[in-house]
Amino acid sequence: MVSVLVWVILGLAVLLAVIFIYYYNRFIVLENRIKNSSAQIDVQLKRRADLVPNLVESVKGFAKHEKAIMTEVTNARVALVRSTNLKDKVKAGDRLQDALKSIFAIAENYPNLRSNENFLQLQQELSSIEDKVAYSRQYYNDSILELENISQSFPGVFFFKLYGRKKQEYLKITEAERKNVKVEF
Amino acid sequence: MTQRLSFHDQIASNKIKSFFLIASILAILILFGYIIAIVAGPDYFFFVMILAIIGSLLYIWIGYYNSHSIALASVNAKPADPVRYRQFHTIVEGLCLASGLPKPKLYIMEEEHINAFASGRDPKHAVICVTTGCLEKLDKQELEGVLAHELSHIANFDIRFMTLTAVLVGMIAIISEIFLRSLFWNSFSNGRDRDNKVHVFLIIAGILLAILAPLLVTLVQLAISRKREYTADASAVKFVRSPTGLINALKKIKHESALSASQKHHYNKAVAPLFIADPFKRKLDNLLATHPPLEKRIALLQRM
Repeated sequence: MVSVLVWVILGLAVLLAVIFIYYYNRFIVLENRIKNSSAQIDVQLKRRADLVPNLVESVKGFAKHEKAIMTEVTNARVALVRSTNLKDKVKAGDRLQDALKSIFAIAENYPNLRSNENFLQLQQELSSIEDKVAYSRQYYNDSILELENISQSFPGVFFFKLYGRKKQEYLKITEAERKNVKVEF
Repeated sequence: MTQRLSFHDQIASNKIKSFFLIASILAILILFGYIIAIVAGPDYFFFVMILAIIGSLLYIWIGYYNSHSIALASVNAKPADPVRYRQFHTIVEGLCLASGLPKPKLYIMEEEHINAFASGRDPKHAVICVTTGCLEKLDKQELEGVLAHELSHIANFDIRFMTLTAVLVGMIAIISEIFLRSLFWNSFSNGRDRDNKVHVFLIIAGILLAILAPLLVTLVQLAISRKREYTADASAVKFVRSPTGLINALKKIKHESALSASQKHHYNKAVAPLFIADPFKRKLDNLLATHPPLEKRIALLQRM
């Protein structure tokens, strides 16, 4: 009788340990996924920033008078390169994206530029980067959602507090911030 | 949460099914070897049995690690050049970022009809193959929808079970067809020279295989459930956040003409269930159809 009780207690202890380990690992895996996806956003934004000087060079040759938009692109790029946390980077990335859109809109007025091989290639590359930035942001938010789900439902909420993990924030760009980007023609 | 859970459930179920598939095929092959060993007589029993066991294990081993290569070879696919097929590559790269999957190897098959399939044993060893028609006739958004559908097959391990079924079971069917053919020729050319025992065995084996082969192809079709296409469509929408591209792509596939007789040779019957749409364009919506009707898939997507 006593030995049965001992086995039951032992079994419960093992089960408990497994649950503790499971939740600990789950949080680590999810947090690493979030870290990794934020790094992915970073990679794409950096690639965009790297391509901008080339773009500015190739546009300059054809459209000398469009100084305002050139300055805006350059400034947005500087803001992106200088920002240190993800939120600022994404914000600067969006600003740069908007500025690039204006460049491509302006390019419509310059047939020579539009048919320039180098420019076309950069345009293609930048538009594929735009998609990738959007996708990696989507995955970042998906990963955060998964962590939120597990950390807010029971019993995850208990372990989340027990292990002292921190809540992570979604990437949200408010409409007001979007409208701040003004490009003068 | 429920959606995430169901993704995990699908992965687990696909892994378990793949395991049982391998186990049962191994059992069938060894049983087949056992029958041959008995017919061959006690002198050869152990020799034949050992050969049968080694052969079966080798068959499974080769099938498991090369299933995607076999599937690709059966449709004569070639690696997609990253410069020539730039859009194909960048779309897949983007979708991989959205789904957190490693980038699969990309292949092209020369075929004017729109179609695509994914294969491999896990996301790290996955391939996506599209027809040249797929790249020519679909615009960017539509192509994105189709590729997201294929990536969902990769993400939930459908590819492992589907490819293994097609290759392992399909291969038995293919081999048995070859065997039957040779038996047919043998019975005409030098049937009389053979000693009786072997001849009787060959006839029995031939009859067994003749019954087995179409049954096996049917099994492939039944095992690869049509539900998979619906779930892959749904997860594809989750990846691209819009059903429009996939809906338009399916509509374009629907309006394509049927395959001509010569085009049918591009596809292997056992591999057909892997494709996003039935390559043979069979109109029947019966139990044995490998794909759900396109109309139903489009209707479901439009409700999302």
